[in-house]
Amino acid sequence: MKELISKIKKRIHVQAEAEAFLYSISKEKKVTKGEILIRQGQVVKKTFFVTAGCLRSYCIDKNGKEHTLQFAIKDWWISDYIAIHNNELATLTVECLTPSTIIEFNARELDKIHTYFPEFESYQRHNLERHVVSLHKRILNQLQLSAPERYDLFLQQYPDIEQYTRNYHIASYLGITQESLSRIRVEKSKK
Amino acid sequence: MKALQIEKYGAIEDSLVFNEISKPTIKPNDVLIEVKAAAINPIDKSIILGNLQSMLPIAMPSTSAYDVSGVVVEKGNAVNNFDIGDLVYARVPQEQMGTLAEYVAVTTDAVSKKPGNISFEEAASLPLAGLTAMQSLERAGIKENDKVLIHAGSGGVGSFAIQYAKAKGAYVYTTTSTSNVAWVKALGADRVIDYKTEDYKKIAQDVDIVFDTLGQNYSLEAFEVVKQGGIVVSVVGPLDEDSAQMFGMADYKLPTELAKASSAKNAVYKFIFMYPNGQHLETIKTLVEDEKIKPIIDTVYPFSKSIEAFVHLASGRAKGKIVIKVS
Repeated sequence: MKELISKIKKRIHVQAEAEAFLYSISKEKKVTKGEILIRQGQVVKKTFFVTAGCLRSYCIDKNGKEHTLQFAIKDWWISDYIAIHNNELATLTVECLTPSTIIEFNARELDKIHTYFPEFESYQRHNLERHVVSLHKRILNQLQLSAPERYDLFLQQYPDIEQYTRNYHIASYLGITQESLSRIRVEKSKK
Repeated sequence: MKALQIEKYGAIEDSLVFNEISKPTIKPNDVLIEVKAAAINPIDKSIILGNLQSMLPIAMPSTSAYDVSGVVVEKGNAVNNFDIGDLVYARVPQEQMGTLAEYVAVTTDAVSKKPGNISFEEAASLPLAGLTAMQSLERAGIKENDKVLIHAGSGGVGSFAIQYAKAKGAYVYTTTSTSNVAWVKALGADRVIDYKTEDYKKIAQDVDIVFDTLGQNYSLEAFEVVKQGGIVVSVVGPLDEDSAQMFGMADYKLPTELAKASSAKNAVYKFIFMYPNGQHLETIKTLVEDEKIKPIIDTVYPFSKSIEAFVHLASGRAKGKIVIKVS
């Protein structure tokens, strides 16, 4: 938690009361590999900041297959924002791919921080913009780049991810088959 | 709920009926699975025809089939390894038979989460055939570089066994007919023997393990190709003495010819009873997610066409598994 607060402090002034408020609505947790933090179809109340390890959010289609939306490594946030924002049941599942440490926040309480401490607005806007940028890039990459190019970019974005993940996680993030992913890797190793 | 039930022993079309029955109730160690897909196997057909009445007597009516994949919708109060909403697959135990229904109650010992990279239909195709192949090859002590002969490589059990044996690093011989040679080869078999044009006994010699999925004369012939000190595992041949004892047949002796052939090779003959096991399905889940094993499906039928699916199964011409999409 200290780390997160010092990160926030680099952008905005954090009053002692705000710091106390953050502590009061959060819990640092160690989670085990395979643990499910949010489950598709259930109510979502929490959002998570990752301090170590790797988490994944995915949806399950009507045929029972998984599609990965996001990986979250150190310093990333992860939750089901569709469910939180629209007050709907989860469309995503969030699972821990490795033993991880996270800070769990009550999402509704965290939202109140902007009312209590308006300086957090600018911090939050910055985070959101960064998030929108990364989503726009992901959509554009998906539309215009070849699978090998997408894989290269993915490795740049998540340099150490392959030690945490299974092939099918990565294939389902890139929207390609596992066979294609294996082919791309073989081609890459020849270069 | 709707269920496909066996009302009497006999021909498929005369014995199977769709009935409206009550939803199963769960015991403390059970989960209730909303069935998405079920798969049918040769044993289901044999039960309907009445061929297994003495070994596996069933009450009438009984809901058919053992293989399932679906979603956990209820759990017993002693269940802590599964949650509502988990996507799972299972080969349900005998006393819970009846996966061709909208819901089935299953003891969690038999259940595993399904592989995440395949559909419900693909997952349903795996348990019975997969457990049969895996438990047989593990009983035979399969290890890297073993030479293994797997009969009927295009069948549900055979196609899984080839992939499992390859995942273990074995050298695989398999038999199949001409039209299946190419796709069976693609499963990874090292030497596909077209039994219509080749004599498998001349090609597969001194193998460490024979996996007999055909029975009849193949069980005996296995000892012509197995090496000295090798092992023959069979899922359809005669019972061995240990398994006969399990059935209370204390005086049972292995058929003389088989006993002679096995002792001449100083080789072991083992009959394998597949048993439901959720942990083994976990292993299979990992192998599937790592693409060491791919489900092989012949046809997916809608629930309303389940009887046609059984007729297809009975024709013996399926390449891979026959699956029924329930919801």
